Amino acid sequence: MDPNAISLKATGRGRRRLLANRVAEGSAVLAAVLAIAVLAVVIWSVGSRGIGAINLDFFIKGPSSDFFGGKGGIAPALVGSLMLVGVATLIALPMGVLTAIFVSEFAPVQVSQQIRLWLDVLNGFPSIVIGIFVFTLAVKTKVPILGIGHHQSAIAGGFALAVIMLPLVARSTMEVLRLVPNQLREASYALGVSKWQTVIRVVLPTSFGGILTGTTLAIARAAGETAPLLFTCAIAGQIVDWNPTHSVQSIPLTILNDSESADPALHQQAWAAAFVLILFVLVTSLTARLLLEHSRKKLGLQQ
Amino acid sequence: MTKRLTILIAAVAAVLLAATAAGAKSTDTTITGAGSTFVQPLVAAWTPAIGKAFGYTVQYSGVGSGAGIAAITANQVDFGASDAPLNEAQQSACPDCIQIPWALSATAVAYNVPGAPAHLNLDGNTISKIFLGTISNWNDPAIAALNKGANLPDLKITPVFRSDGSGTSYNFTDYLSSVNANWKTKIGTSTQPAFPAGQGAKGSSGVAGLITRTNGSIGYVDVAYALKNHIKFAAVRNKAGKFLFPSLRRIEAAALAFTTLPANNELHIVNPPKSAVFAYPVSTYTYVIVHKKSAHAAELRKMIFWALTQGQGSQFAAKLTFAKLSTNKKVLVAAEKTLKQIQATGN
Amino acid sequence: MLAHVEAASVPAGSLPRTRHLGDRIGDGLLYGLTALASILGLLVVLAIVWRVADGAWPAIKIFKAGFLWDNQWNVNLNQFGARDLIIGTVVTSFGAMILAAPLSIAIGLFLSELAPPAVRAPVGTLIDMLAAVPSVVIGLWGIYVLAPFNANHTAPLIHSVLGWIPIFGGDPHTESTVFTAIVVLTIMTIPITSSICRELFMGVPSELEEGSIGLGATRWEMVKTVVVPSVRGGVVAAVILGLGRALGEAIAVTQVIGNFIPLKHTIFAPGDTAASRLANQYQGASTNTQIAALIYLALVLLVITFLTNYAAQRVVKRFEFQRTGGA
Repeated sequence: MDPNAISLKATGRGRRRLLANRVAEGSAVLAAVLAIAVLAVVIWSVGSRGIGAINLDFFIKGPSSDFFGGKGGIAPALVGSLMLVGVATLIALPMGVLTAIFVSEFAPVQVSQQIRLWLDVLNGFPSIVIGIFVFTLAVKTKVPILGIGHHQSAIAGGFALAVIMLPLVARSTMEVLRLVPNQLREASYALGVSKWQTVIRVVLPTSFGGILTGTTLAIARAAGETAPLLFTCAIAGQIVDWNPTHSVQSIPLTILNDSESADPALHQQAWAAAFVLILFVLVTSLTARLLLEHSRKKLGLQQ
Repeated sequence: MTKRLTILIAAVAAVLLAATAAGAKSTDTTITGAGSTFVQPLVAAWTPAIGKAFGYTVQYSGVGSGAGIAAITANQVDFGASDAPLNEAQQSACPDCIQIPWALSATAVAYNVPGAPAHLNLDGNTISKIFLGTISNWNDPAIAALNKGANLPDLKITPVFRSDGSGTSYNFTDYLSSVNANWKTKIGTSTQPAFPAGQGAKGSSGVAGLITRTNGSIGYVDVAYALKNHIKFAAVRNKAGKFLFPSLRRIEAAALAFTTLPANNELHIVNPPKSAVFAYPVSTYTYVIVHKKSAHAAELRKMIFWALTQGQGSQFAAKLTFAKLSTNKKVLVAAEKTLKQIQATGN
Repeated sequence: MLAHVEAASVPAGSLPRTRHLGDRIGDGLLYGLTALASILGLLVVLAIVWRVADGAWPAIKIFKAGFLWDNQWNVNLNQFGARDLIIGTVVTSFGAMILAAPLSIAIGLFLSELAPPAVRAPVGTLIDMLAAVPSVVIGLWGIYVLAPFNANHTAPLIHSVLGWIPIFGGDPHTESTVFTAIVVLTIMTIPITSSICRELFMGVPSELEEGSIGLGATRWEMVKTVVVPSVRGGVVAAVILGLGRALGEAIAVTQVIGNFIPLKHTIFAPGDTAASRLANQYQGASTNTQIAALIYLALVLLVITFLTNYAAQRVVKRFEFQRTGGA
């Protein structure tokens, strides 16, 4: 070796710094691995314990009436959840999109800041308090309108879910509307097109993908919410019911009720229902993300 | 991608349509009920039979006696079911409500202690102390004194109670209040007692589940749930000094020991007198609560009468350790009499 | 000269002075509808606060502020005090925050700085998927997988090392405990906080990062001295937001916490939180006082979560101010 060569190996303080770096990087990797491991364990637990109960009967039959045995299914809960999420989307989607349009196209800065603030406040409310609110509003009142009032119903439950979905839909729509280049709007105005036509014919179609994404994510969230349904749509029968003015079963409540039971058959049903729910939620979330990528590319934006 | 999405949606819709077709019934009268998880297995057994007999579809939701009373008071359901009778506040909140005893069973004191005998001997004072937290280990001398020769491990006792509004809690605390003055003053009788020790679970099913999962636990639950989940339950000492675990004969003996009935049908059959030698001391009636005037009054009269008579048949009741309501003729007569108070509204 | 050309090419009077009536109606209608939607949204927020306060009022009259520091929950005697429920809420959520904050920051750093680019997207997606798992499923998993694991492995381990501290004392072999609830809440908080952290870290200008590396810093030192300080406010806000989420969680907590008050001094014992008690007792409340007391509890919870989110907003505002230098 050349005696005049200088070793590049770190010594003393330099060594310590490199070691600190390694430890830090290792910890970060560990944290990420831990989080993913938990996800994997949850999905695997749910899948492996529930898979035994999944057959055609599971999706088509209702709960078994035989106390000492008999496997049932979650058909009423599937239908119920579909209705609840449907009602919730019917309410939250137009309200959220209209609010977002107001904020992005019409409102002065002060007003839109206020609205954002209120939406954030709403987003922070615990879902169980929202459930109590809808209970005092929709179930406790004596006058039945549109099927709500004095008894629990899918409409009341759907309304509670809509209150939870609203800030999510509104905020994500606002973000997407903000991303629509102003030149598009200005070009439209320059051609003499009125504001409302611009919004409906230019801005909304351009941001459609993003709106769809935001709504899909909100739907995924609403499908899994349990607390708002406890007081608004929990006392329900055991058969499939398509009437939204009735109280209906729902997947999250079925999981909650069966989860604490001692009966192994009901356990398995809980796991299987959880598996179906997770699958739905994950698939919709992933779809939403893919839609987001798709719409971003359409808008010509790069990540 | 849109095509695949459409196909997926179509497939889901097809499955749901099949579900509806398979599950839905044609335009039947639907009778909705909610409440006690204690009586839920019996109502579930009755439902297909009622459907066959009258064409009614009974939809029952086991949300706990407390929630059942709240639901029927608010007119959210056609009938409420509760093991706890209406208290003053509840009766004044629902002046139109009447309660009819429609089933008779018992609360088992169930436990999960590895190596313990199938029916541990316990008495009211010991059970009170366990749930008050003063006896905290299974090898406590008080328990050993009642179970000579039993192999009781050195294991912490975890009391398990109902965290929701429960008629079973009412029955259990009713019993403890009548045998133990300390319990009566400290905790009293309630559907939601402030238990000073242990863990809570929701519903009879939840309590059974928690007991099964927790080594050293002891809780109270409807006999049917203990039997179904193969949980051991205690032989409780009655006033006559016998240690008895719940069975049909012993529940009947308890029912026969009480011959006076108040006008509102509020029945307490816990801790029967010494003369009822073979009575199980933690037995209870359970009630159906309806409005005198309601939309489904006619159907309710038919349904409840069926429940009071044919519903007590052994293929429904005995199988689930519910004793026949007709055991105590006075109660049956009173029930049928109260039933007559239901009048149809001008619907 | 230009003006002369322009004037010549546009015939006078041919540009419409007013827009079409249809357009005016359309614009007005759209404005009206969207403004209405926004107002309705605002009304919902106000309605929630009003209904909850209104429902709580009978209990507020009876118990007044003592509700916050009295400690009993006796339905029979109609005596209600929420102290242990509030403490339980705070302890479980803060415990989750203490565990989740460093993990979330580490994950955020991993996803923005330390992971090879090819890995970032899939891992990010996976962690977002954890956010999508519904709370009732995490609770179900908590009861049958996490709780026994804690009772048999984690809790005894912690107890053996730290058992001399009262909060880690007691018998660690219990399944339904405050500790299990803390772990469940941590799992639910991490995705939110880490995704905000990731956005923040990615937003640090690369010149700052590269400059630091150019001066000879290791990646860790760059993160420590450049990245984290420049978004410190945002990170604090993200952690507080996660805390807000944990405070309001009812279902997963009620499944694993044991539903018992009064609280013991150790986290290895059953406990309860405000949200969990609401979930259990509201349906079956047997007296009007109990119902009002429960809604009073809901009001307290609402105020706590509102203050937490407000604090997060303030932090973000100050942080924006610092970052943009008041611009």
